[in-house]
Amino acid sequence: MSAALALYQKELWVYFRSPIAYFVVAVFLLGTGYFFTYNIFLTGHATMTETLQNMGILLLLVLPVLSMRLFAGEYSAGTIELLLTLPLQPWQIVLGKYLGALTILLLLTVGTLVNLVPLYLFGNPETMTILSGYIGFLLLGMACLAVGQFFSALTHNQIIAALSTVAVLLGFWFIGHLQSFQTSPVLRGLCGYVSFSGHFGAFVQGVVRTEAVVFYLVVCAIALTLNTNYLQWQR
Amino acid sequence: MIALTAVSKRYGPKTVIHDLSFTVEKGEIVGLLGPNGSGKTTTIRMIAGYTTATSGHVSVAGYDMATQNDTAAHLIGYLPEHPPLYDTLDVSTYLRFVAKVKRVPRAARSAELERVTVACRLGAVFRQEIYKLSKGYRQRVGLAQALLGKPEVLLLDEPTIGLDPEQLHETRELIRAFGTEHAVLLSTHILPEATLLCQRVAILNHGRLLAMDTPGGLQRALEQTHRVILRVTAPAQALRQELLSVAGVQTVQIDTAAGTDQTLSVSCQVDTRDGVEAAIARAIAPRWLLHRLERQQPTLEQVFLHYVQQASAAEEGA
Repeated sequence: MSAALALYQKELWVYFRSPIAYFVVAVFLLGTGYFFTYNIFLTGHATMTETLQNMGILLLLVLPVLSMRLFAGEYSAGTIELLLTLPLQPWQIVLGKYLGALTILLLLTVGTLVNLVPLYLFGNPETMTILSGYIGFLLLGMACLAVGQFFSALTHNQIIAALSTVAVLLGFWFIGHLQSFQTSPVLRGLCGYVSFSGHFGAFVQGVVRTEAVVFYLVVCAIALTLNTNYLQWQR
Repeated sequence: MIALTAVSKRYGPKTVIHDLSFTVEKGEIVGLLGPNGSGKTTTIRMIAGYTTATSGHVSVAGYDMATQNDTAAHLIGYLPEHPPLYDTLDVSTYLRFVAKVKRVPRAARSAELERVTVACRLGAVFRQEIYKLSKGYRQRVGLAQALLGKPEVLLLDEPTIGLDPEQLHETRELIRAFGTEHAVLLSTHILPEATLLCQRVAILNHGRLLAMDTPGGLQRALEQTHRVILRVTAPAQALRQELLSVAGVQTVQIDTAAGTDQTLSVSCQVDTRDGVEAAIARAIAPRWLLHRLERQQPTLEQVFLHYVQQASAAEEGA
Protein backbone atom coordinates (compact mmCIF):
# COMPACT_ATOMS: atom_id res chain seq x y z
CA MET A 1 0.00 0.00 0.00
CA SER A 2 2.92 2.33 0.72
CA ALA A 3 4.01 1.94 -2.90
CA ALA A 4 0.55 3.03 -4.10
CA LEU A 5 0.77 5.97 -1.71
CA ALA A 6 4.15 6.97 -3.15
CA LEU A 7 2.62 6.87 -6.63
CA TYR A 8 -0.31 8.97 -5.39
CA GLN A 9 2.12 11.61 -4.10
CA LYS A 10 4.01 11.52 -7.39
CA GLU A 11 0.74 12.09 -9.27
CA LEU A 12 0.00 15.16 -7.18
CA TRP A 13 3.53 16.49 -7.78
CA VAL A 14 3.12 16.03 -11.52
CA TYR A 15 -0.31 17.70 -11.49
CA PHE A 16 0.87 20.71 -9.54
CA ARG A 17 4.07 21.16 -11.52
CA SER A 18 2.29 21.30 -14.87
CA PRO A 19 -0.27 23.93 -15.89
CA ILE A 20 -2.98 21.35 -16.65
CA ALA A 21 -4.47 21.08 -13.15
CA TYR A 22 -4.51 24.85 -12.66
CA PHE A 23 -6.06 25.31 -16.08
CA VAL A 24 -8.80 22.74 -15.46
CA VAL A 25 -9.67 24.14 -12.03
CA ALA A 26 -9.65 27.73 -13.33
CA VAL A 27 -11.87 26.97 -16.33
CA PHE A 28 -14.27 25.01 -14.19
CA LEU A 29 -14.55 27.67 -11.51
CA LEU A 30 -15.01 30.43 -14.10
CA GLY A 31 -17.75 28.42 -15.80
CA THR A 32 -19.45 27.63 -12.51
CA GLY A 33 -19.29 31.27 -11.47
CA TYR A 34 -20.90 32.32 -14.72
CA PHE A 35 -23.72 29.75 -14.42
CA PHE A 36 -24.28 30.66 -10.79
CA THR A 37 -24.59 34.38 -11.49
CA TYR A 38 -26.81 33.75 -14.51
CA ASN A 39 -29.17 31.37 -12.70
CA ILE A 40 -29.50 33.41 -9.51
CA PHE A 41 -30.18 36.75 -11.22
CA LEU A 42 -32.45 35.18 -13.83
CA THR A 43 -34.68 33.24 -11.41
CA GLY A 44 -34.25 35.27 -8.26
CA HIS A 45 -34.46 32.02 -6.27
CA ALA A 46 -31.77 31.14 -3.73
CA THR A 47 -31.17 27.67 -5.12
CA MET A 48 -28.21 25.70 -6.49
CA THR A 49 -30.37 23.28 -8.52
CA GLU A 50 -29.82 24.79 -11.98
CA THR A 51 -26.21 25.66 -11.26
CA LEU A 52 -25.43 22.08 -10.15
CA GLN A 53 -27.14 20.77 -13.28
CA ASN A 54 -24.88 22.99 -15.40
CA MET A 55 -21.85 22.02 -13.33
CA GLY A 56 -22.57 18.37 -14.15
CA ILE A 57 -22.30 18.84 -17.90
CA LEU A 58 -19.31 21.17 -17.52
CA LEU A 59 -17.62 18.42 -15.51
CA LEU A 60 -18.12 16.01 -18.41
CA LEU A 61 -16.23 18.34 -20.72
CA VAL A 62 -13.46 19.34 -18.33
CA LEU A 63 -12.51 16.15 -16.46
CA PRO A 64 -11.23 14.31 -19.57
CA VAL A 65 -8.53 17.00 -19.78
CA LEU A 66 -7.51 16.00 -16.27
CA SER A 67 -7.61 12.27 -16.93
CA MET A 68 -6.05 12.21 -20.41
CA ARG A 69 -2.45 12.25 -19.21
CA LEU A 70 -2.87 9.54 -16.55
CA PHE A 71 -1.64 6.68 -18.74
CA ALA A 72 -1.19 8.21 -22.21
CA GLY A 73 1.40 10.58 -20.67
CA GLU A 74 3.27 7.66 -19.09
CA TYR A 75 3.30 5.81 -22.42
CA SER A 76 4.65 8.73 -24.42
CA ALA A 77 7.31 9.61 -21.82
CA GLY A 78 8.36 5.95 -21.56
CA THR A 79 7.82 6.06 -17.80
CA ILE A 80 5.25 3.25 -18.00
CA GLU A 81 8.28 0.97 -18.37
CA LEU A 82 9.46 2.20 -14.97
CA LEU A 83 6.05 1.77 -13.30
CA LEU A 84 5.51 -1.74 -14.66
CA THR A 85 8.98 -2.95 -13.64
CA LEU A 86 9.03 -1.37 -10.16
CA PRO A 87 7.62 -3.43 -7.28
CA LEU A 88 4.10 -2.17 -8.02
CA GLN A 89 1.08 -4.35 -8.78
CA PRO A 90 -1.14 -3.16 -11.64
CA TRP A 91 -4.00 -2.46 -9.24
CA GLN A 92 -1.69 -0.26 -7.15
CA ILE A 93 -0.77 1.76 -10.23
CA VAL A 94 -4.44 2.17 -11.18
CA LEU A 95 -5.48 3.09 -7.64
CA GLY A 96 -2.60 5.50 -6.99
CA LYS A 97 -3.28 7.36 -10.21
CA TYR A 98 -7.04 7.40 -9.68
CA LEU A 99 -6.71 8.81 -6.17
CA GLY A 100 -4.38 11.51 -7.48
CA ALA A 101 -6.93 12.66 -10.06
CA LEU A 102 -9.70 12.36 -7.47
CA THR A 103 -7.82 14.76 -5.20
CA ILE A 104 -7.90 17.41 -7.94
CA LEU A 105 -11.65 16.78 -8.32
CA LEU A 106 -12.08 17.35 -4.58
CA LEU A 107 -10.12 20.61 -4.73
CA LEU A 108 -12.24 21.71 -7.65
CA THR A 109 -15.42 20.87 -5.72
CA VAL A 110 -14.25 22.77 -2.67
CA GLY A 111 -13.57 25.73 -4.95
CA THR A 112 -17.20 25.87 -6.06
CA LEU A 113 -18.36 26.15 -2.44
CA VAL A 114 -17.51 29.85 -2.62
CA ASN A 115 -20.82 30.29 -4.49
CA LEU A 116 -22.68 29.25 -1.36
CA VAL A 117 -21.45 32.29 0.58
CA PRO A 118 -23.71 34.86 -1.15
CA LEU A 119 -26.47 32.27 -1.31
CA TYR A 120 -26.55 31.90 2.47
CA LEU A 121 -25.87 35.61 3.08
CA PHE A 122 -28.77 36.92 1.03
CA GLY A 123 -31.14 33.98 0.79
CA ASN A 124 -32.47 30.98 2.61
CA PRO A 125 -31.45 27.91 0.56
CA GLU A 126 -32.32 24.30 1.36
CA THR A 127 -29.16 22.83 2.83
CA MET A 128 -30.16 19.18 2.35
CA THR A 129 -30.87 19.69 -1.37
CA ILE A 130 -27.49 21.35 -1.87
CA LEU A 131 -25.77 18.57 0.07
CA SER A 132 -27.49 15.88 -2.00
CA GLY A 133 -26.56 17.76 -5.20
CA TYR A 134 -22.91 17.84 -4.17
CA ILE A 135 -22.93 14.13 -3.33
CA GLY A 136 -24.25 13.47 -6.84
CA PHE A 137 -21.66 15.85 -8.29
CA LEU A 138 -18.80 13.99 -6.63
CA LEU A 139 -20.13 10.58 -7.63
CA LEU A 140 -20.54 11.75 -11.22
CA GLY A 141 -16.99 13.11 -11.17
CA MET A 142 -15.64 9.83 -9.78
CA ALA A 143 -17.31 7.88 -12.58
CA CYS A 144 -16.05 10.32 -15.24
CA LEU A 145 -12.48 10.09 -13.97
CA ALA A 146 -12.55 6.29 -13.87
CA VAL A 147 -13.84 6.16 -17.45
CA GLY A 148 -11.29 8.79 -18.51
CA GLN A 149 -8.44 6.90 -16.86
CA PHE A 150 -9.43 3.70 -18.65
CA PHE A 151 -9.53 5.44 -22.04
CA SER A 152 -6.18 7.05 -21.29
CA ALA A 153 -4.70 3.57 -20.87
CA LEU A 154 -5.85 2.58 -24.36
CA THR A 155 -3.82 5.12 -26.34
CA HIS A 156 -0.44 6.82 -26.41
CA ASN A 157 -2.02 10.06 -27.57
CA GLN A 158 -3.42 12.32 -24.84
CA ILE A 159 -5.67 14.24 -27.23
CA ILE A 160 -7.27 11.01 -28.49
CA ALA A 161 -7.69 9.88 -24.88
CA ALA A 162 -9.50 13.13 -24.01
CA LEU A 163 -11.68 13.19 -27.13
CA SER A 164 -12.78 9.56 -26.83
CA THR A 165 -13.58 10.09 -23.14
CA VAL A 166 -15.70 13.17 -23.90
CA ALA A 167 -17.52 11.25 -26.64
CA VAL A 168 -18.30 8.32 -24.37
CA LEU A 169 -19.33 10.51 -21.42
CA LEU A 170 -21.61 12.66 -23.58
CA GLY A 171 -23.11 9.46 -24.97
CA PHE A 172 -23.94 8.24 -21.48
CA TRP A 173 -25.21 11.70 -20.53
CA PHE A 174 -27.70 11.99 -23.37
CA ILE A 175 -28.63 8.32 -23.74
CA GLY A 176 -31.70 8.96 -21.58
CA HIS A 177 -33.23 10.95 -24.44
CA LEU A 178 -33.36 7.75 -26.51
CA GLN A 179 -35.91 6.36 -24.11
CA SER A 180 -38.86 7.94 -25.95
CA PHE A 181 -37.77 6.27 -29.22
CA GLN A 182 -37.76 2.73 -27.79
CA THR A 183 -40.78 0.47 -28.21
CA SER A 184 -39.29 -2.38 -26.21
CA PRO A 185 -39.77 -1.80 -22.47
CA VAL A 186 -36.45 -3.56 -21.75
CA LEU A 187 -34.49 -1.16 -23.98
CA ARG A 188 -36.41 1.79 -22.59
CA GLY A 189 -35.53 0.72 -19.05
CA LEU A 190 -31.90 0.16 -20.01
CA CYS A 191 -31.54 3.59 -21.64
CA GLY A 192 -32.95 5.14 -18.51
CA TYR A 193 -30.79 3.12 -16.17
CA VAL A 194 -27.41 3.78 -17.81
CA SER A 195 -28.14 7.50 -18.22
CA PHE A 196 -25.58 9.58 -16.29
CA SER A 197 -27.87 12.62 -16.39
CA GLY A 198 -30.92 10.69 -15.14
CA HIS A 199 -29.22 9.61 -11.93
CA PHE A 200 -27.54 12.98 -11.50
CA GLY A 201 -30.88 14.80 -11.94
CA ALA A 202 -32.31 12.99 -8.93
CA PHE A 203 -29.40 14.09 -6.72
CA VAL A 204 -29.75 17.69 -7.85
CA GLN A 205 -33.46 17.62 -6.96
CA GLY A 206 -32.48 16.54 -3.44
CA VAL A 207 -33.13 12.81 -3.74
CA VAL A 208 -30.27 10.51 -2.73
CA ARG A 209 -31.26 7.10 -4.10
CA THR A 210 -29.25 4.00 -3.21
CA GLU A 211 -29.73 2.82 -6.79
CA ALA A 212 -28.05 5.96 -8.15
CA VAL A 213 -25.16 5.78 -5.66
CA VAL A 214 -24.60 2.13 -6.52
CA PHE A 215 -24.82 2.94 -10.24
CA TYR A 216 -21.95 5.43 -10.15
CA LEU A 217 -19.83 3.21 -7.89
CA VAL A 218 -20.37 0.26 -10.22
CA VAL A 219 -19.28 2.39 -13.20
CA CYS A 220 -16.08 3.28 -11.28
CA ALA A 221 -15.46 -0.35 -10.34
CA ILE A 222 -15.97 -1.60 -13.91
CA ALA A 223 -13.74 1.07 -15.46
CA LEU A 224 -10.93 0.61 -12.91
CA THR A 225 -11.08 -3.19 -13.17
CA LEU A 226 -10.90 -3.01 -16.95
CA ASN A 227 -7.99 -0.61 -16.57
CA THR A 228 -6.10 -3.03 -14.26
CA ASN A 229 -6.78 -6.02 -16.49
CA TYR A 230 -5.69 -4.08 -19.54
CA LEU A 231 -2.32 -3.27 -17.92
CA GLN A 232 -1.89 -6.93 -17.00
CA TRP A 233 -2.90 -8.11 -20.45
CA GLN A 234 -0.49 -5.74 -22.19
CA ARG A 235 2.49 -7.66 -20.82
CA MET B 1 20.78 -15.01 -10.93
CA ILE B 2 19.35 -14.58 -14.42
CA ALA B 3 18.41 -17.65 -16.44
CA LEU B 4 16.77 -17.79 -19.86
CA THR B 5 15.73 -21.21 -21.14
CA ALA B 6 14.59 -21.63 -24.75
CA VAL B 7 12.92 -18.22 -24.76
CA SER B 8 11.01 -17.03 -27.82
CA LYS B 9 9.01 -13.86 -28.27
CA ARG B 10 6.50 -13.22 -31.03
CA TYR B 11 4.67 -10.00 -31.83
CA GLY B 12 1.82 -11.14 -34.05
CA PRO B 13 3.31 -13.18 -36.90
CA LYS B 14 6.79 -11.74 -36.34
CA THR B 15 9.22 -13.66 -34.16
CA VAL B 16 11.73 -11.25 -32.63
CA ILE B 17 13.51 -13.68 -30.30
CA HIS B 18 14.28 -17.26 -31.34
CA ASP B 19 15.02 -19.97 -28.80
CA LEU B 20 17.35 -17.89 -26.63
CA SER B 21 19.13 -19.47 -23.66
CA PHE B 22 21.82 -18.05 -21.42
CA THR B 23 22.58 -17.34 -17.78
CA VAL B 24 24.16 -14.52 -15.80
CA GLU B 25 25.70 -15.40 -12.46
CA LYS B 26 26.27 -13.26 -9.40
CA GLY B 27 29.47 -11.22 -9.63
CA GLU B 28 29.42 -11.30 -13.39
CA ILE B 29 28.93 -8.65 -16.07
CA VAL B 30 27.46 -10.02 -19.26
CA GLY B 31 27.06 -7.97 -22.41
CA LEU B 32 24.38 -8.30 -25.05
CA LEU B 33 26.00 -7.20 -28.26
CA GLY B 34 24.06 -6.70 -31.45
CA PRO B 35 23.04 -4.20 -34.11
CA ASN B 36 19.80 -2.24 -33.85
CA GLY B 37 16.78 -4.50 -34.10
CA SER B 38 18.65 -7.61 -33.01
CA GLY B 39 16.40 -8.18 -29.99
CA LYS B 40 18.56 -6.74 -27.20
CA THR B 41 15.85 -4.48 -25.81
CA THR B 42 13.16 -7.17 -26.01
CA THR B 43 15.44 -9.61 -24.18
CA ILE B 44 16.12 -7.12 -21.38
CA ARG B 45 12.43 -6.20 -21.16
CA MET B 46 11.50 -9.85 -20.68
CA ILE B 47 14.03 -10.19 -17.87
CA ALA B 48 12.78 -6.95 -16.28
CA GLY B 49 9.22 -8.29 -16.37
CA TYR B 50 7.93 -5.50 -18.62
CA THR B 51 6.83 -8.04 -21.19
CA THR B 52 6.48 -11.82 -21.09
CA ALA B 53 8.04 -14.50 -23.25
CA THR B 54 5.74 -16.23 -25.77
CA SER B 55 7.41 -19.53 -24.95
CA GLY B 56 10.29 -20.63 -22.79
CA HIS B 57 11.20 -19.60 -19.29
CA VAL B 58 12.77 -16.43 -17.86
CA SER B 59 13.79 -16.47 -14.21
CA VAL B 60 15.52 -13.99 -11.92
CA ALA B 61 16.90 -15.29 -8.61
CA GLY B 62 14.69 -18.34 -9.08
CA TYR B 63 11.47 -16.35 -9.59
CA ASP B 64 9.52 -16.96 -12.78
CA MET B 65 9.19 -13.55 -14.46
CA ALA B 66 5.92 -14.52 -16.12
CA THR B 67 4.08 -15.10 -12.85
CA GLN B 68 6.24 -13.89 -9.94
CA ASN B 69 7.48 -10.62 -11.43
CA ASP B 70 6.03 -8.59 -8.53
CA THR B 71 8.24 -10.45 -6.05
CA ALA B 72 11.30 -10.40 -8.26
CA ALA B 73 10.90 -6.66 -9.01
CA HIS B 74 12.46 -5.90 -5.59
CA LEU B 75 15.68 -7.53 -6.74
CA ILE B 76 15.97 -5.80 -10.10
CA GLY B 77 17.36 -2.41 -11.03
CA TYR B 78 16.44 -1.53 -14.58
CA LEU B 79 17.56 1.27 -16.86
CA PRO B 80 15.46 1.18 -20.05
CA GLU B 81 16.78 2.37 -23.40
CA HIS B 82 15.15 5.78 -22.89
CA PRO B 83 15.61 6.84 -19.26
CA PRO B 84 12.10 6.82 -17.74
CA LEU B 85 11.97 10.31 -16.24
CA TYR B 86 9.19 12.69 -15.20
CA ASP B 87 10.27 15.95 -16.80
CA THR B 88 8.39 18.26 -14.46
CA LEU B 89 9.80 16.75 -11.26
CA ASP B 90 13.18 17.72 -9.88
CA VAL B 91 15.87 15.07 -9.54
CA SER B 92 15.50 14.69 -5.76
CA THR B 93 11.70 14.31 -5.88
CA TYR B 94 12.00 11.76 -8.65
CA LEU B 95 14.63 9.67 -6.87
CA ARG B 96 12.69 9.89 -3.60
CA PHE B 97 9.59 8.58 -5.39
CA VAL B 98 11.49 5.59 -6.81
CA ALA B 99 13.09 4.91 -3.41
CA LYS B 100 9.66 4.89 -1.76
CA VAL B 101 8.21 2.50 -4.31
CA LYS B 102 11.25 0.26 -3.90
CA ARG B 103 10.46 0.31 -0.16
CA VAL B 104 13.76 1.76 0.99
CA PRO B 105 13.02 2.30 4.71
CA ARG B 106 12.28 5.92 5.64
CA ALA B 107 15.30 6.12 7.98
CA ALA B 108 17.70 4.92 5.29
CA ARG B 109 16.16 6.87 2.41
CA SER B 110 18.25 10.03 2.61
CA ALA B 111 21.48 8.05 2.93
CA GLU B 112 20.50 5.89 -0.03
CA LEU B 113 19.71 8.97 -2.13
CA GLU B 114 23.06 10.43 -1.13
CA ARG B 115 24.82 7.21 -2.13
CA VAL B 116 23.41 7.08 -5.69
CA THR B 117 23.77 10.84 -6.12
CA VAL B 118 27.46 10.62 -5.35
CA ALA B 119 27.93 7.45 -7.41
CA CYS B 120 26.27 9.01 -10.48
CA ARG B 121 27.70 12.51 -9.81
CA LEU B 122 24.34 14.21 -9.70
CA GLY B 123 25.11 16.60 -6.84
CA ALA B 124 25.15 19.65 -9.11
CA VAL B 125 21.64 19.03 -10.49
CA PHE B 126 19.99 17.46 -7.44
CA ARG B 127 17.40 20.26 -7.10
CA GLN B 128 16.90 20.91 -10.81
CA GLU B 129 13.85 19.98 -12.83
CA ILE B 130 14.57 17.05 -15.07
CA TYR B 131 13.47 18.76 -18.30
CA LYS B 132 16.38 21.21 -17.88
CA LEU B 133 19.01 18.46 -17.83
CA SER B 134 21.39 17.53 -20.65
CA LYS B 135 21.24 14.10 -22.22
CA GLY B 136 24.22 12.88 -20.23
CA TYR B 137 22.64 13.94 -16.94
CA ARG B 138 19.30 12.37 -17.91
CA GLN B 139 21.10 9.11 -18.57
CA ARG B 140 22.77 9.31 -15.17
CA VAL B 141 19.51 10.08 -13.36
CA GLY B 142 18.13 6.97 -15.05
CA LEU B 143 21.13 4.98 -13.83
CA ALA B 144 20.78 6.39 -10.29
CA GLN B 145 17.15 5.28 -10.28
CA ALA B 146 18.22 1.74 -11.24
CA LEU B 147 20.86 1.63 -8.49
CA LEU B 148 18.43 2.71 -5.74
CA GLY B 149 17.68 0.02 -3.18
CA LYS B 150 20.86 -1.95 -3.97
CA PRO B 151 19.28 -4.46 -6.36
CA GLU B 152 20.78 -7.93 -6.81
CA VAL B 153 20.39 -7.76 -10.57
CA LEU B 154 21.13 -4.75 -12.73
CA LEU B 155 19.71 -4.55 -16.25
CA LEU B 156 21.10 -1.73 -18.37
CA ASP B 157 19.87 -1.07 -21.88
CA GLU B 158 22.57 0.94 -23.70
CA PRO B 159 23.76 2.61 -20.47
CA THR B 160 26.49 4.78 -21.98
CA ILE B 161 24.56 6.41 -24.83
CA GLY B 162 24.81 10.19 -24.77
CA LEU B 163 27.73 10.36 -22.33
CA ASP B 164 30.90 12.32 -23.04
CA PRO B 165 34.27 10.51 -22.79
CA GLU B 166 34.88 11.45 -19.16
CA GLN B 167 31.38 10.45 -18.06
CA LEU B 168 31.75 7.31 -20.13
CA HIS B 169 34.81 6.32 -18.16
CA GLU B 170 33.15 7.08 -14.81
CA THR B 171 30.00 5.17 -15.71
CA ARG B 172 32.00 2.15 -16.82
CA GLU B 173 33.92 2.19 -13.54
CA LEU B 174 30.62 2.41 -11.67
CA ILE B 175 29.18 -0.58 -13.54
CA ARG B 176 32.40 -2.54 -13.08
CA ALA B 177 32.38 -1.90 -9.32
CA PHE B 178 28.73 -2.91 -9.11
CA GLY B 179 29.39 -6.05 -11.14
CA THR B 180 31.81 -7.50 -8.60
CA GLU B 181 29.01 -8.28 -6.16
CA HIS B 182 25.89 -8.36 -8.32
CA ALA B 183 24.69 -9.76 -11.60
CA VAL B 184 24.81 -7.20 -14.40
CA LEU B 185 23.40 -7.57 -17.89
CA LEU B 186 24.00 -4.69 -20.25
CA SER B 187 23.25 -4.23 -23.91
CA THR B 188 25.38 -2.28 -26.30
CA HIS B 189 26.15 -1.92 -29.96
CA ILE B 190 29.60 -0.52 -29.23
CA LEU B 191 32.30 -3.16 -29.60
CA PRO B 192 34.98 -1.80 -27.25
CA GLU B 193 32.41 -1.39 -24.50
CA ALA B 194 31.58 -5.08 -24.58
CA THR B 195 35.24 -6.10 -24.57
CA LEU B 196 36.19 -3.59 -21.84
CA LEU B 197 33.42 -4.21 -19.34
CA CYS B 198 32.07 -7.71 -19.69
CA GLN B 199 33.29 -11.10 -18.58
CA ARG B 200 31.16 -12.73 -21.24
CA VAL B 201 29.46 -11.37 -24.32
CA ALA B 202 26.30 -12.76 -25.91
CA ILE B 203 26.20 -11.87 -29.58
CA LEU B 204 22.68 -11.45 -30.91
CA ASN B 205 21.58 -11.09 -34.49
CA HIS B 206 17.98 -11.11 -35.74
CA GLY B 207 16.86 -12.40 -32.35
CA ARG B 208 19.18 -15.40 -32.37
CA LEU B 209 22.18 -16.04 -30.13
CA LEU B 210 25.09 -16.26 -32.58
CA ALA B 211 27.70 -16.92 -29.95
CA MET B 212 28.47 -16.60 -26.27
CA ASP B 213 32.08 -15.56 -26.13
CA THR B 214 34.67 -14.10 -23.80
CA PRO B 215 36.21 -10.69 -24.54
CA GLY B 216 39.35 -12.64 -25.54
CA GLY B 217 37.40 -14.59 -28.13
CA LEU B 218 35.78 -11.40 -29.35
CA GLN B 219 39.19 -9.80 -29.56
CA ARG B 220 40.41 -12.66 -31.74
CA ALA B 221 37.37 -12.25 -33.95
CA LEU B 222 38.20 -8.57 -34.21
CA GLU B 223 41.77 -9.33 -35.17
CA GLN B 224 40.65 -11.44 -38.07
CA THR B 225 38.72 -8.55 -39.47
CA HIS B 226 41.49 -5.93 -39.61
CA ARG B 227 41.96 -4.46 -43.03
CA VAL B 228 44.35 -2.17 -44.83
CA ILE B 229 42.97 -0.08 -47.67
CA LEU B 230 45.28 1.07 -50.46
CA ARG B 231 45.19 3.11 -53.63
CA VAL B 232 48.11 2.39 -55.86
CA THR B 233 49.07 3.02 -59.49
CA ALA B 234 50.41 -0.39 -60.45
CA PRO B 235 49.72 -3.47 -62.60
CA ALA B 236 47.20 -5.65 -60.73
CA GLN B 237 48.95 -9.02 -60.96
CA ALA B 238 52.38 -7.80 -59.83
CA LEU B 239 50.81 -5.79 -57.02
CA ARG B 240 48.89 -8.80 -55.73
CA GLN B 241 52.03 -10.93 -55.63
CA GLU B 242 54.03 -8.23 -53.93
CA LEU B 243 51.36 -7.68 -51.26
CA LEU B 244 50.96 -11.38 -50.52
CA SER B 245 54.69 -11.66 -49.94
CA VAL B 246 54.50 -9.12 -47.09
CA ALA B 247 54.41 -10.88 -43.70
CA GLY B 248 51.01 -10.38 -42.03
CA VAL B 249 48.92 -9.94 -45.17
CA GLN B 250 46.38 -12.74 -45.42
CA THR B 251 44.20 -11.99 -48.43
CA VAL B 252 44.23 -9.33 -51.13
CA GLN B 253 41.18 -8.03 -52.90
CA ILE B 254 41.62 -5.77 -55.90
CA ASP B 255 38.67 -3.74 -57.05
CA THR B 256 39.43 -3.07 -60.71
CA ALA B 257 36.10 -1.38 -61.45
CA ALA B 258 36.80 1.44 -59.00
CA GLY B 259 40.25 2.14 -60.44
CA THR B 260 41.00 4.56 -63.27
CA ASP B 261 43.85 3.94 -65.71
CA GLN B 262 46.31 1.96 -63.65
CA THR B 263 45.18 3.23 -60.24
CA LEU B 264 43.76 0.31 -58.23
CA SER B 265 41.70 0.15 -55.06
CA VAL B 266 42.99 -2.65 -52.89
CA SER B 267 41.72 -4.10 -49.65
CA CYS B 268 43.97 -6.49 -47.71
CA GLN B 269 42.98 -8.59 -44.77
CA VAL B 270 45.82 -8.46 -42.30
CA ASP B 271 46.62 -9.73 -38.84
CA THR B 272 47.04 -7.37 -35.92
CA ARG B 273 50.82 -7.33 -35.61
CA ASP B 274 52.19 -3.81 -35.47
CA GLY B 275 53.86 -2.43 -38.53
CA VAL B 276 51.95 -4.29 -41.22
CA GLU B 277 51.10 -0.97 -42.83
CA ALA B 278 54.75 0.09 -42.71
CA ALA B 279 55.85 -3.21 -44.27
CA ILE B 280 53.30 -2.78 -47.06
CA ALA B 281 54.45 0.78 -47.65
CA ARG B 282 58.09 -0.32 -47.78
CA ALA B 283 57.25 -3.03 -50.31
CA ILE B 284 55.22 -0.80 -52.62
CA ALA B 285 56.65 2.70 -52.44
CA PRO B 286 59.99 2.03 -54.24
CA ARG B 287 58.27 0.45 -57.26
CA TRP B 288 54.87 2.13 -57.68
CA LEU B 289 53.03 5.31 -56.80
CA LEU B 290 51.16 4.91 -53.48
CA HIS B 291 48.24 7.39 -53.16
CA ARG B 292 46.65 6.22 -49.98
CA LEU B 293 47.26 3.71 -47.22
CA GLU B 294 44.85 3.36 -44.32
CA ARG B 295 44.26 0.84 -41.60
CA GLN B 296 40.55 0.25 -41.08
CA GLN B 297 39.07 -0.41 -37.64
CA PRO B 298 36.85 -3.47 -37.70
CA THR B 299 33.15 -2.64 -37.62
CA LEU B 300 30.45 -4.48 -35.78
CA GLU B 301 29.10 -5.73 -39.12
CA GLN B 302 32.41 -7.37 -39.96
CA VAL B 303 32.54 -9.07 -36.58
CA PHE B 304 29.00 -10.28 -37.07
CA LEU B 305 29.87 -11.60 -40.47
CA HIS B 306 32.72 -13.49 -38.88
CA TYR B 307 30.41 -15.12 -36.31
CA VAL B 308 27.73 -15.83 -38.91
CA GLN B 309 30.30 -17.53 -41.14
CA GLN B 310 31.61 -19.49 -38.17
CA ALA B 311 28.08 -20.59 -37.26
CA SER B 312 27.24 -21.71 -40.81
CA ALA B 313 30.58 -23.50 -41.10
CA ALA B 314 29.84 -25.36 -37.88
CA GLU B 315 26.41 -26.30 -39.24
CA GLU B 316 27.89 -27.67 -42.45
CA GLY B 317 30.43 -29.63 -40.46
CA ALA B 318 27.72 -31.19 -38.33
